[in-house]
Amino acid sequence: MATIVKADNLEKVYRIGKVDVPALRGVSLAVQEGEFVAVMGPSGCGKSTMLHLLGGLLTPTKGRILVDGENLTAVSDAKRTDIRRRKIGFVFQRFNLFPTLTAEGNLRLAERIHGNGADDPDRRHEILRMLHLEDKMHHKPLELSGGEQQRVALARAVVNRPAIVLADEPTGNLDSENSELVLKMFRELNDRFNQTIIMITHNPEAAAACQRIIQMRDGHIV
Amino acid sequence: MDSLVVSNIRQRPLRSAISILGVALGVALVMLFTGLARGMSDDLQKRSSNVSAEIIFTRPGSTQIIASSANVSTKYVPLLQAIDGVESVTPVIRYVYPSGSFGFDQVEGVEWDSFSKMNNIRLIQGHAPSPDEVVIDETKASRNHPVGSTLKVFGDRVYRVAGIYAPESGARVKMTLASLQDELQAPNKCTLIYVKVKNPSEQLLVAKRINEALPGNKIQPTRELFATIESSIPGLTIFLRMLVGLAAIVSALVIMLAMHTTITERTREIGILKAMGASRLYIIGEIEREALLISFLGLLVGFALAGIAGFGIHKATGLIFEFGARWGLTAAAIGLLGGALGAFYPAARAANLDPVNALAYE
Repeated sequence: MATIVKADNLEKVYRIGKVDVPALRGVSLAVQEGEFVAVMGPSGCGKSTMLHLLGGLLTPTKGRILVDGENLTAVSDAKRTDIRRRKIGFVFQRFNLFPTLTAEGNLRLAERIHGNGADDPDRRHEILRMLHLEDKMHHKPLELSGGEQQRVALARAVVNRPAIVLADEPTGNLDSENSELVLKMFRELNDRFNQTIIMITHNPEAAAACQRIIQMRDGHIV
Repeated sequence: MDSLVVSNIRQRPLRSAISILGVALGVALVMLFTGLARGMSDDLQKRSSNVSAEIIFTRPGSTQIIASSANVSTKYVPLLQAIDGVESVTPVIRYVYPSGSFGFDQVEGVEWDSFSKMNNIRLIQGHAPSPDEVVIDETKASRNHPVGSTLKVFGDRVYRVAGIYAPESGARVKMTLASLQDELQAPNKCTLIYVKVKNPSEQLLVAKRINEALPGNKIQPTRELFATIESSIPGLTIFLRMLVGLAAIVSALVIMLAMHTTITERTREIGILKAMGASRLYIIGEIEREALLISFLGLLVGFALAGIAGFGIHKATGLIFEFGARWGLTAAAIGLLGGALGAFYPAARAANLDPVNALAYE
């Protein structure tokens, strides 16, 4: 299997007022194509910072990130946005759906942003079917349960078939039943489409569903 | 509703309505002011064009459109009549005074027989004016002034409506020349003298003869006067342009404020868009589309407002509005351009938001 995500000696320091706050202190990791990886660790250990760096939402203070062969740290912000659009899907703890759009509208928005005339109802419906959301297509987020909202968020993240899905505590706001359902969906996506998934979680049961667990502490991988 | 732009507008109906109304106000102001200027100018021109005289004889410095002076001696009437090529002459006092309700009114003092004969004006009801009487045109009569009713002229002087004439020509209200001379304490004076020539193709020649016979006066071909009515109103064009500029600024500020508030509210959503890979251009485009849609709706409401307000003001005051395509297009351009420009700063600000901070925004 090829390495799809590679981080070398990543450092990230936030400047808060006049104080430098180090969040990552030299993190290196490699994730293989099709791998399902959990990132665990206590709050404030740098998990989210690392995920944001891998997704190109942040730039590191030091170090290098390669995503599917493209160096995120050596390109412009516009190019990084382009790489994110083409190769990465995000899933957040708070779902982050557009409240004014229906479930299908949220997916179509992702397709429009992705471009390539990507309005593909068949693929959209396939994803919605797979995530058991066919009858929720025309519902707005507030008309859906937490589990359903997270499944819509997952559908939105994968509708353009990104190579990598980055999930930041996707089950953090869900009860155990919905958590299990969402994790099942992740596994299915991973199995069926060979999508690489890097998932931050505090939940050991969720982590147990992954092929590998990366533990972090104080800005380091331990 | 799959469109982010439309759903965003629908999500905040009150704010959207206020933004639309703000743009509409700018557009309606442009349409109303330019429509009024054009309507009044065209009405004046239309009424003036029913004057058959080819030459207007006045004193220098007299402004025929808004004149209220009577500084031309009527002794010129027989002198003009005696000039070779002149068919008929008729003296007129044109008096402009503040109307009781809005703007200005005009009244003309004429020698009815010579004036009506020269300009092919006929009485369709009633009779020619005597002292303390006026005749009015059909437009004036339609505003609840039938023959036999009374009409206040100069603010408080009451005159009886003796007759209704057609077609409309010059001031809508006419009285005898002698009555107006008495009222203005200007015996043997008039504002201008209309000169009709025997052969219209020789009007320049006749004008030259008049100038030679009666030097030092102002001799103006009537057609020239008609052509310059709009430009003769001092500063009208500049005023209209300034108004258009102000309307553009109002539209831009309304949209800027609306979009600025929108973007602050949607900071988190912009963060999501960025996480989804939306480029700066895409985000600017979404916000600009929303602003343009609001502006377009404002445009439609503005046109409707202008039409309704124009109709209402016309009914209430008699002011005439004429909405032209050119100013309509200008108003449309102002509304849309103002909206697009107003949204640009907030859009650029949104596009430059840090995605992680935006996602963390509460």
